[in-house]
Amino acid sequence: MGILTKDVERHPCEVEVSHCFDSLHAHVKFTDGAVIWPGDEVIVKGPEIMAPYGHVVREQREAVIFRASKLERLWTRLTGDFEFMELCEFSFSEEVKL
Amino acid sequence: MNAHTPKTHASGATHTADATTVEEGLAIQEEQAKFDSDTATAVAMQNTLLTPRFYTTDFDELDAVDVTPVREDWDLLIAQMQADPNKGHFRKTDDWDHVDWDGMEPGLRKEFIDFLISSCTAEFSGCVLYKEMKRRGSNKDITQLFQLMARDEARHAGFINDALREAGVAVNLGFLTQKKKYTYFRPKFIYYATYLSEKIGYARYITIFRHLEAHPEHRFHPIFKWFREWCNDEFSHGEAFALLMKTDPKLTSGVNAYWIKFFLTAVYATMYVRDHQRPAFHAALGVDPDWYAHEVFTKTSKLSQQIFPLTLDIDHPRWQRELVALQKANADLALAVQRKQTLKKWGAQARAARAFVSLLLIPSKANKVPASTRMEPVY
Ligand SMILES: [Fe+2]
Ligand SMILES: [Fe+2]
Repeated sequence: MGILTKDVERHPCEVEVSHCFDSLHAHVKFTDGAVIWPGDEVIVKGPEIMAPYGHVVREQREAVIFRASKLERLWTRLTGDFEFMELCEFSFSEEVKL
Repeated sequence: MNAHTPKTHASGATHTADATTVEEGLAIQEEQAKFDSDTATAVAMQNTLLTPRFYTTDFDELDAVDVTPVREDWDLLIAQMQADPNKGHFRKTDDWDHVDWDGMEPGLRKEFIDFLISSCTAEFSGCVLYKEMKRRGSNKDITQLFQLMARDEARHAGFINDALREAGVAVNLGFLTQKKKYTYFRPKFIYYATYLSEKIGYARYITIFRHLEAHPEHRFHPIFKWFREWCNDEFSHGEAFALLMKTDPKLTSGVNAYWIKFFLTAVYATMYVRDHQRPAFHAALGVDPDWYAHEVFTKTSKLSQQIFPLTLDIDHPRWQRELVALQKANADLALAVQRKQTLKKWGAQARAARAFVSLLLIPSKANKVPASTRMEPVY
């Protein structure tokens, strides 16, 4: 990982999507123990994972991690804190007028 | 979705919320799915892609948390969450009256669906964050807590999702195959932000619930009847973060007191601005957004005295005035952006910034934190 260059890595992962009444969730787990750092971007390869209503779908996939450069990682560490408002959604979207 | 009667399974559970084993839950879901795929193809559903946020934090720091100083309260809270008093609550009973989506006034319908989608996204994002913290951590106390909270949030999201489906809105979980960036929060910022979001969430839900209890004629959708138990979950989540902050006095003193003031101000101000953008929703509920905001701030301030060293002076003469100014500046800003008027945009931004700084500079009230942190939901 360079100061300004991005690395691209491929890792196996397990995807679990639950589209159920009692649990709506979607998670990605890297099965080789790969770790995500601030500013990294992740994309799960392959077709869209669609769980029909009432189903839990679990699939082994490959994910691509676009590693943030050192500078980007630092920047995300310094500024990420200010995106905290995303945690409090207030039950309305940001759009001013609907 | 209500029309069919699902088969009864082994333990007599007919709903996933009552299922005691995974197998049983899955069997019930399969029944539902069969029915569901029929309805889904029959009705053209409007598709909404959920876009949760992804976070990462300093997991070593999180693992280093030692709950020993609050062990007694901690174990009680975890036991209560494990007992899962709300299991079975999030399902539709006879109380779920028919919703006349087609008869709903279009403006209200739009705002209400926005409300449901945003709530669903918020619950979902909470679930993703908590699950991530559970997975990356190795401290048993911490991972156990986050696992339980992830369970609750996924359940909340599922319940809202169901209400959305009824309205003909299908939530799309396909976001995983899109590129997503992980942002970073220091653990203490996660505590402040999630603590506040859980407590303000409780205050918001319970205020609406109590209001509709007194004015049932304004209850235009049955989901509001579920708000009390719902917000009790959020209350417990907030309690857990309060205990986490209690483990280290540095988190709520010194320079961190300023951070807390900043968080409180930003969260309250944002809530005020967003609520005022949804007039039809509040009118239908018979709620004056100014009254609502003040009510929610009062409750949240009272609750946050359990752990925060200060409360905002929400009765200060400048408070309401600057909130109104901020809201106005924000509306003007949106208009200027839409009309591509750069000068007006800068002007509105400057006014918004000034109003926010003015809110921030209102002297706060010192608070002496009680020795015992735990509280019960009493509103
Ligand atoms: Fe929730
Ligand atoms: Fe919560």
